[in-house]
Amino acid sequence: MSTKFATLLLGVLGLASSAGPAVAHHAFAAEFDATKPIKLKGTVAKMEWINPHTWLHLDVKRPDGKTERWMIEGGPPNALYRRGFTKNSLPIGSELVVEGFRAKDGSLKGNGRELTFADGRRLFVGSSGTGAPRDGKDR
Amino acid sequence: MNDRYKAGTLLLAGAIGVLVATYGSLPTSTNAQQADAAWTQTRTAWGDPDLQGVWRYEGAIPLERPARFAGRESLTDEEVAQIQKVEEEQAAQRLAGAEGAAVARRSVGESPIRGNEYNSFWQDHGRPRQVSKQTSLVVDPRDGRIPYTPDAKKANERASARYGVGPYESFLDPDTGERCLTDGVTALMWQGPNGGHNRIVQSPGFVTILHEEYLDRRIIPVDGRAHGSIRQWLGNAVGKWEGDSFVVDTTNFIDRTNYEWAAIFTRPSETLHLVERFKRTSANSMEYRITVEDPATFVKPWTAVIPITRLGDDTQIYEYACHEGNYAMTNLLAGGRVDAAKKR
Repeated sequence: MSTKFATLLLGVLGLASSAGPAVAHHAFAAEFDATKPIKLKGTVAKMEWINPHTWLHLDVKRPDGKTERWMIEGGPPNALYRRGFTKNSLPIGSELVVEGFRAKDGSLKGNGRELTFADGRRLFVGSSGTGAPRDGKDR
Repeated sequence: MNDRYKAGTLLLAGAIGVLVATYGSLPTSTNAQQADAAWTQTRTAWGDPDLQGVWRYEGAIPLERPARFAGRESLTDEEVAQIQKVEEEQAAQRLAGAEGAAVARRSVGESPIRGNEYNSFWQDHGRPRQVSKQTSLVVDPRDGRIPYTPDAKKANERASARYGVGPYESFLDPDTGERCLTDGVTALMWQGPNGGHNRIVQSPGFVTILHEEYLDRRIIPVDGRAHGSIRQWLGNAVGKWEGDSFVVDTTNFIDRTNYEWAAIFTRPSETLHLVERFKRTSANSMEYRITVEDPATFVKPWTAVIPITRLGDDTQIYEYACHEGNYAMTNLLAGGRVDAAKKR
């Protein structure tokens, strides 16, 4: 997959290993379709730091050259901030791969479950500094 | 019990973190208390026991006793060690970045994260979950189960079955939490994202508790006054000191039993009577005990004992303007229309 030209992979891959319906801390199954996993590669257009969930806006270039603006639901902003996530963590224009599930109504929305930079770095996981929980150090 | 609470209590998201790698093992609540054996209750300038700070629940104790522990109020050392091992393994999986493909797509019950739809990137794993011997937060009745009335049991099963699934025909159909209203005062001190964050602030004659989620706040007079007569969502609370325990008696809840609740045990009715006891047990731990009485929902009162933990002095409570960003409301109603069209 080229890092220059973002590619949209959208398919009904199924959830072979999932033993039960997705259960969320809010209405996941009402908003998103657990049978429609998405994998989006695009560039960050905007990050909405809003409660109860953040929303990441991602510009995704389709194979036909058209660009689509996707909205990806993320975790609560307060939780992200406590993890060390700041507005500098996902600069506008950074390339990102998002995996999640598409909105039930077929609109260009989804929830984000995996976030990986185009070069393979995963946000926070296994990294020092940015990955260190802020309120974990005081124990 | 609602799935959110099953998952939230058993697999509390704000649980495991880098500390596991740093410290090597998770502290048990017993160890934490032993470490502070020399601690004595500090007092405010005006002489009340000082409970101030930001507190949250970080335990790994289910609200109700799981069937596998029926008849037992505490775990053996071996079982504690086993649970601790699982906690550490899950932490290691997170640290290795395995929770996405390798973990999160397993069943909800197996997943180390609350729910199965977000990986730990979105969650706050700032501190390790505290393993202890207690088999359920509910200590009375002795079976560790909430004594629902038959009707409330049905309502609870219904709420659990429709949780996150609907049907969603109107804005009234999501539960009160999804509607950005409240999840109720009963679980305020130990539920919410990542175990909840509650700031306790004291002033002469008042104790204030600010809960981050929904910015629920309770301003509790401690001056001997009687209950007010106005019914409210969070009831009318009056407090008093009994030794070093802060005792809060709350009545005059508004009846919202006709609303959808994520967990029936938190729903207010006009007959709900909540008694809470806050007793600090060390510099960073508190025993929070609630007794819940409401003939509209329970056949008899029940009591839960919840160990809560004080976070560092630099911990802040942040904004929670939930309504403004609650895109989920439109999304789930749009999803509901898709579901409805399929059924036609």
